[in-house]
Amino acid sequence: MAAAINMIIQASHLTKQFKSVRRKEGVLGTLATLFSHDYEFKDAVTDVSFDLEPGELVGYIGPNGAGKSTTIKMLTGILVPTSGHCTVNGIVPWQDRQANGRGIGVVFGQRTQLYWDLPLVESFRLLKAIYGVSQASYDRHLKKFSELLGLDEFMRTPVRQLSLGQRMRGDFAAAMMHEPAVVFLDEPTIGLDVVAKEAIRNFIASVNKERGTTFILTTHDLNDVEKLCARIILIDHGRKLYDGSIDAIKKRYGPNRLLTADFLTDAAGVDIRMPGVAVLERDGQRIRLEFERERVRADELIVALSRQADLKDVTIAEPELETIIRQIYERGLDRSGPAPQ
Amino acid sequence: MADAGARHWSAYREFWRLNFLTLMEYKVNFFIWLAFTIVYHGVALGAIWIMMSRFPSMNGWHWQQVFFLYALYMLGHTLNNTFFFTIGEVPDLVREGRFDRLLVRPLDPLFQVLSQPGQIWPDELVIALIVFILAQGAVHLQWSSSTVVLLVLATLGGAYIDFAIQLIIATLSFWVVRLDALRWVVMSLENDFTRYPLSIYNRAVRIMLAYVFPFAFMNYFPATVLLHKSAEVGYTFNPQLGWLTPVVGAVWFAAAYSFWRLGLNKYQGTGS
Amino acid sequence: MNLAPYAEFAKRAFSREATYRAEVFTRVGSVLLRVFLLSTLWTALYRNNGAKQGISLESMITYATLALLLDLIYGVNGAYVIRQKIREGSIAIDFMRPISVPLYVFADTVGQTGFALVQIVPALVLSFPLLGLMHAHVGGPSGGIAALGFVASVALGFLLNFLIDLIMATATFWTMEIFGIQIMVQFISSLLSGSLVPLYFFPNGLQKIAFALPFAGLYNAPLSIYIGKWQGRDIALGLGEQALWLALIWFAAMAFWRRGERRVVVQGG
Ligand SMILES: Nc1ncnc2c1ncn2[C@@H]1O[C@H](COP(=O)(O)OP(=O)(O)O)[C@@H](O)[C@H]1O
Ligand SMILES: [Mg+2]
Repeated sequence: MAAAINMIIQASHLTKQFKSVRRKEGVLGTLATLFSHDYEFKDAVTDVSFDLEPGELVGYIGPNGAGKSTTIKMLTGILVPTSGHCTVNGIVPWQDRQANGRGIGVVFGQRTQLYWDLPLVESFRLLKAIYGVSQASYDRHLKKFSELLGLDEFMRTPVRQLSLGQRMRGDFAAAMMHEPAVVFLDEPTIGLDVVAKEAIRNFIASVNKERGTTFILTTHDLNDVEKLCARIILIDHGRKLYDGSIDAIKKRYGPNRLLTADFLTDAAGVDIRMPGVAVLERDGQRIRLEFERERVRADELIVALSRQADLKDVTIAEPELETIIRQIYERGLDRSGPAPQ
Repeated sequence: MADAGARHWSAYREFWRLNFLTLMEYKVNFFIWLAFTIVYHGVALGAIWIMMSRFPSMNGWHWQQVFFLYALYMLGHTLNNTFFFTIGEVPDLVREGRFDRLLVRPLDPLFQVLSQPGQIWPDELVIALIVFILAQGAVHLQWSSSTVVLLVLATLGGAYIDFAIQLIIATLSFWVVRLDALRWVVMSLENDFTRYPLSIYNRAVRIMLAYVFPFAFMNYFPATVLLHKSAEVGYTFNPQLGWLTPVVGAVWFAAAYSFWRLGLNKYQGTGS
Repeated sequence: MNLAPYAEFAKRAFSREATYRAEVFTRVGSVLLRVFLLSTLWTALYRNNGAKQGISLESMITYATLALLLDLIYGVNGAYVIRQKIREGSIAIDFMRPISVPLYVFADTVGQTGFALVQIVPALVLSFPLLGLMHAHVGGPSGGIAALGFVASVALGFLLNFLIDLIMATATFWTMEIFGIQIMVQFISSLLSGSLVPLYFFPNGLQKIAFALPFAGLYNAPLSIYIGKWQGRDIALGLGEQALWLALIWFAAMAFWRRGERRVVVQGG
């Protein structure tokens, strides 16, 4: 693999299987569990491979329990994979955790790395010591982060008194204090309000642009992904389903556009029989259609509609990433093509 | 790597600075825990005193000597408590998923466990020193350079024995969700069987407390050397065994640390 | 009042505890080990000094063994969740539900204690025969009445212990710092209840104080009945005294709880 030299993250055939004790129902069942050695194996991640170039900003998406966090934990060296291999910054993460730790930053959405009882700035000072950040860089970063994330107003507040949004902003600054080349974000915007989400998205985008930091971001908020990432990796049940650009997935799996037509009279009698058009819903004077962008021209469709009744208003919408991805989860990748007529 | 050493050291200094800051923020708590520590050891000494008043013959050890035995145990035990106290938090860290964080930082995970800022302060060590000063007066300890060396070795080695056992328990939490029972039994073994001279027990117990859970090296063996009671040790053990405490501490720590390393590779984390 | 949900809470607590299976084996094993070690300790003390205060070595070993098992019952601190709920602020939500929080906590404690019994029974069944190998006459109660009295006395002790824990947890409504004090009380109680050393071995003055305090109802009362230190009228008096303390502490705990509850409702936690 000659091209591999340039890759900042390389994951090949990563697989993780968890082993746990099987539980039984009821009081007698729980007592029986005491004596039986019945193990349960859970395939959290199966045979996942991908490469990331420096400076990429990739969305790693999938429904709950898909294996996103488990993948992140292997890439960050927290878990040792059952099989498969990966390198991050050229290091095998779980083999040399300390070297690996210097080059990566990690934000877990649900868990803070800030010290609960202490003012925010004290956590930063501790991280400065942990990562051996020089005083000059520390001052520079702190100034920069304060600007981007508005940390100044709560810098001296004990972390336990911060709002979730403030704490997450603190956590982002904490993860970037040592200028990592790669940053892993596991559900970073979970539970945040719109303002905090926006601040954090801007922060990610600006760090990515200015420093060329590589980001891999797990989330099930696809707005994050649409706003930030050019590339997505889609997984479900631990397996990779898709890896490529958002545009391509939209073209390939979202060939249908949506049309909503409002009539001046009742739309019950409206009946469109054109190849590549399907009626989704009728509601009084309104009708909703889906049509294939490659086969049907919007103006022809509108003309056809207006012949049947008096049109009041028409809107046309592009498919949402969310809808496409939901379809892929529901129908599987191969069968998620154009809606059958 | 010199750089790694420097980072560990400056992180450790920062850790104690933060401990101090936390302490300042929770002054009331500090005094409550100080009172607690005094009550804790007071109850233990009270129980010894009650027992000695009913059962004055402890195989030739009078109450001052039993008191000294406890004071010697306190030195090693509280040294461990002061510097390695947070090892007891590992099961919680693992269960709540906070242990993950320690694996993505460029510092040794065990070092990070032992330097989690909290409300740690060497108050218990100070109490132990006061108790020890009283106890050595009560037994009219003869001071010499070898007494000093032995005391230092016994305290350091004792702390490592105590720590090694805690480390093994902590490591088990990588596999077992709840360890309260095991912690409870080891703690009570330590509490029950460091109180009285080993020589009152039968052979099986003596061997267990010397080799299986080597608590006897924390206080009994060094005390027999210091109090010139080596003769009573002779019939089961070598009378100079008290000098070996640091060796036992080192061996136990090495074994416990290897086990810890093994556990780190088996670490599964929690499913959240 | 509908008690069905509380039965469900108790069942749930039982199942929850039972998920920690490794712990059961460690606990039973550790009780056996400690029983054995304590028996060697008391044997050694008696061999050096002879019997004291009319308590034979066999009675003493029986006493120490049962005290260990009672530790498992009294060690269940179901009221601890109140502290957690207050810390997380979720207690206010509990107040809005049609459920009595103390009763809920009690049901939870009962469930947990039920599971403690799952550990105590095998530990008991194994330890007395084991001790029997070394000492004849260890184990059985001193008579039928003693056995019944013991069970009644443990039941009273269980309630008493629950209420003491509840009072401690209620104090959290005012300050979280109470935790240190709570553990302090536990340690003092371990000495004054007769759990570490029978109160009969205490020097006179201290003994009088210990007998006068409610802690004696936890260990001293049931164990004195079991080993036959108390007989006939003494058993009745002892149980009466436990009941009296229980009533007193019950009133105190309820009054205290209501004040704590009002504090949350008025001040919003
Ligand atoms: N430590 C663990 N032990 C057992 N099962 C686990 C563990 N961690 C995760 N799992 C299981 O593996 C699957 C993937 O989990 P995860 O990677 O956390 O999913 P995601 O982050 O995509 O929601 C889930 O079914 C989860 O229950
Ligand atoms: Mg996840």
